[in-house]
Amino acid sequence: MAQTKPQSPAAPSSTIAPSDASAPIIRCSALAKTFKMGDSRIQVLRNVDLSVRSGEFLAIEGRSGSGKSTLLHILGALDEADSGQVIFDGHDIAAFSNSSRAKLRNTQFGFVFQFYHLLPELNVLENTLLCSMIEKSYLGFRAERAELRERATKILADLGMDHRLKHRSSQLSGGERQRVAIARALVNRPRVLFADEPTGNLDTDTGRQIMDVLEKLHRDNGQTIIMVTHDRTLAREADRTLVLRDGVLSAAG
Amino acid sequence: MYKLLLILKYLRKRRIAWVSLVAVTLCTAMVLVVISVMGGWLRMFLDTNHALGGDVVIYTDQGAQGFGNYQAIIDGVKKSNLVKAAVADIETGGLATFNNRKQELVQIKAFSDMSEVGKINSFAHSLYREYKQPLKQIDDDPSLSVDEKARRVAALDAKGPTFDKPFPADDYRHMMPGAPNSGFDAGNLPGIICGTDLILPKTETGSYDRDKYDIYHAFVKLAVLDFSTISSATPSMPTRTYWLVDDSKTGLWQVDFNTVYVPFDRLQRDIGMAAQYAPDGKTIVRPAHVTEIQIAVNQGVDVYKARDEIRKIVDAVAPPAFGQEALTVESWDEHQAQFISAVEHEKVTLTFLFGIISIVAVFLVFCIFYMIVVEKTRDIGIIKSVGATNWGVAQIFLGYGLLIGIIGAGMGLLGAYLIVHNINELHAWMGREMGVKIWDPRTYIFDTIPNTMQAADVIWIVSIAILSAVGGAIVPAIRASRMHPVEALRWE
Repeated sequence: MAQTKPQSPAAPSSTIAPSDASAPIIRCSALAKTFKMGDSRIQVLRNVDLSVRSGEFLAIEGRSGSGKSTLLHILGALDEADSGQVIFDGHDIAAFSNSSRAKLRNTQFGFVFQFYHLLPELNVLENTLLCSMIEKSYLGFRAERAELRERATKILADLGMDHRLKHRSSQLSGGERQRVAIARALVNRPRVLFADEPTGNLDTDTGRQIMDVLEKLHRDNGQTIIMVTHDRTLAREADRTLVLRDGVLSAAG
Repeated sequence: MYKLLLILKYLRKRRIAWVSLVAVTLCTAMVLVVISVMGGWLRMFLDTNHALGGDVVIYTDQGAQGFGNYQAIIDGVKKSNLVKAAVADIETGGLATFNNRKQELVQIKAFSDMSEVGKINSFAHSLYREYKQPLKQIDDDPSLSVDEKARRVAALDAKGPTFDKPFPADDYRHMMPGAPNSGFDAGNLPGIICGTDLILPKTETGSYDRDKYDIYHAFVKLAVLDFSTISSATPSMPTRTYWLVDDSKTGLWQVDFNTVYVPFDRLQRDIGMAAQYAPDGKTIVRPAHVTEIQIAVNQGVDVYKARDEIRKIVDAVAPPAFGQEALTVESWDEHQAQFISAVEHEKVTLTFLFGIISIVAVFLVFCIFYMIVVEKTRDIGIIKSVGATNWGVAQIFLGYGLLIGIIGAGMGLLGAYLIVHNINELHAWMGREMGVKIWDPRTYIFDTIPNTMQAADVIWIVSIAILSAVGGAIVPAIRASRMHPVEALRWE
C-alpha cells in the first residue's frame, strides 16, 4: 500500500492535499478546538487543514491525547470545532442544524469505535440494522424490512458473522464485536467510514483481521476510510498517513 | 422503528423499570378501588333513597305527629299534569315482639294507598313473596315463551304491594286458637311486612337461608305510642298482633334491619293520628294526620319545576295556621342534601389524598427513569453517533414512560376490576380468615359493598395514570436528548 509522501514540511497550518486531482469528499480548514480542564485550557487542535478525496484510505496517527479522536469526531459531525470549517460534499457542516447533522451521521457517515459501542440489549442483526432503523420511519422500515435484513445479513456474512445473528454483544469476542460494529457502520452504505482506533482494544491477531476487513472494504468497494490510530504500523497500511502531534497535523515522516 | 425496538427491549431487560410499573399499577388500582367503592356507595345511596322516597316529599319539621289535611293536599297535587302519583305515609317507632320471643325496637311505616305505592317508590319490588319469588319463578320456567314471560313480568310490575296472607284464615286459626268465647279470631289478624334483615340472619355467603326459618307462620306483636294520649299521665301504648306475610329487602341496611310495614288505617288509629270527632260523631275536631307525602312526577318532568308547582299547591290547599310553620316541600335529593353533601366531600377529600399518594408514583417513575438515563448514557451516545436526533432520543424515554403508564394502568385496571368485582367475597374471606371487618352496614347503611366500576371513572383515572408516567419521564427524556454524543460515548 502506497504511503503518500509529505508535500510540505510540518507546520502549524499544514494543508494535506489528496494525491490525485479528484474533488475532495471532505475537507477542513483552520480547525481549532480547546478543552477546558478545571482552570486550565488545553488546545487539542491547532489550525488543522485536511482534505480527503473520495475512495481514499487515510490514516491519522498520533499518540494518546494528541487530539486525533477529537479531529475524527469533528470531521464526522459528532463534535464541533471552536473555529474553522468542515466541508462535506461542498457543504459546511457547521451550518447544519442538529437534526441535519444527525441525518448526515446516519446516512453519509459510518463510525467504528475502539470500544465497539454495540447496544447490549440488541442482538447482532438488530445492532447491524440500527442505522437503517434510525433512517427509516416505522412503516418505511417494515416495508423494506426483508431487503434491509438481507443487506445486513450479507454484510455480516462478508465479515464472517452470519452464524451469530441472534447473539447479543455480551456473547461475542472482541474481534466479533468489532466486526458487528463495522457491519453497523456499513449498512447504510456510508460515503465516509470513520474508524477510531478500531484495533485498539484487540489482540494483535484479531487487530490484524480487522485491518484486513477495512483494507478489503477500501480495495474492493472503494470505501472512503478515515482511521485514527496510535499504531504506526497499522497507520502505514493506509493510502496516506498523517501525524497529529500537539494538535498540529502533518504528513508522516 | 428503533425507538419502539429499544422501548420494548428496555422494558424487558431493565428490571428496575418494573418497580415504576408496579407503582403505577398499585396507584391506579388503589384510586380505582376507592373511587369505585365511594362513588358506588354514593350512587347506591342516591338511587335507593330516590327509589324509596319518590321524587318530591312533603313533610313538616314540627314534631312526630305530622300534619293534617293530607288528602286535600294529595287531591290538589294530583290535579297537576306534572304529577304521576302521590301517597301519604306514616312513620313512627314501636316495639315488635316476634313469636312472643325476640323483641326489637322498630321503625313502622304505613302507606295510605297501597295501589299507588308501586307508581311512586320501589317498595313493591323489595318484597320477596309478592315480587322477587314469583319473578324468579317466571324467569326459571322453561315452558314460558319470551313474550309470555314479558307479559307476566309486566303484570307483576303493575301489581301493587298488599298485606294478603299466604295461607287461608283457618290455618291461622289453627295456629293460634285463642281462648274459647273470647271473640279472638286469629284468621282476621292483619298482615305485617318486615325488613328482611330484621327476621332472617345472613349466611356466610351473604344470602338468606329461607328454608331454615318458617317465617310466614310467625306472628308479630307491635306496641306503639298513642300520640293522642301523650299529654296524659298514663300515655297509651296499644299493642296489636299481626301475621308476618312478607319481607322487604330495599338494599338500605338501616331500613331492612329495623323497619316493619303495616296497614295504614290501623296504624293511624293506633297512634292517635286518625281523625278525631266531636261527641256528635260528625264534626271533625282534629283531622287525620300523616308524617309525609311522597310524590312521583311524570316521566321527563323536571323534578325541581314540579317541586315549585307543588309548593304553590300546598300553600294554597294547606296554608300554615297562626304560629305554625309551612309544610316543607323538597325534591328527593334536597331531602337528603346534608348527607349527600358530606359524602361527596368525603369522596373529593379521598380522591385528593390518593392523588397526593399518586404523586409519589410520578416521583418514583422520575427517579427510576433518571437512573436509567444515567446508566444508559453511553447507549445514548451510541444511538446519537449513528444518527438519532435529540427528539428521537427523547421519544425513546417518553415512549418508555408511556408504555409503562399503559401497562401499569392496564394492570391496575385489571386488578381494580377483580378487587371491586369480588369485593364482597374478599371482605367476607378477610372476616373469616383474619377477623378483619372493614365494612360495617351500621355505618355504611348498605350491607353489601358497591362492586361496580363506572366507565367515566375508569377513563379519567387510567388517563391520569398514563399521563403521570409520561410526566415522570419528561425530565429524564430532556436530559437524555440534550446529551452531547461524544461526552456520552466517553461516559464511564
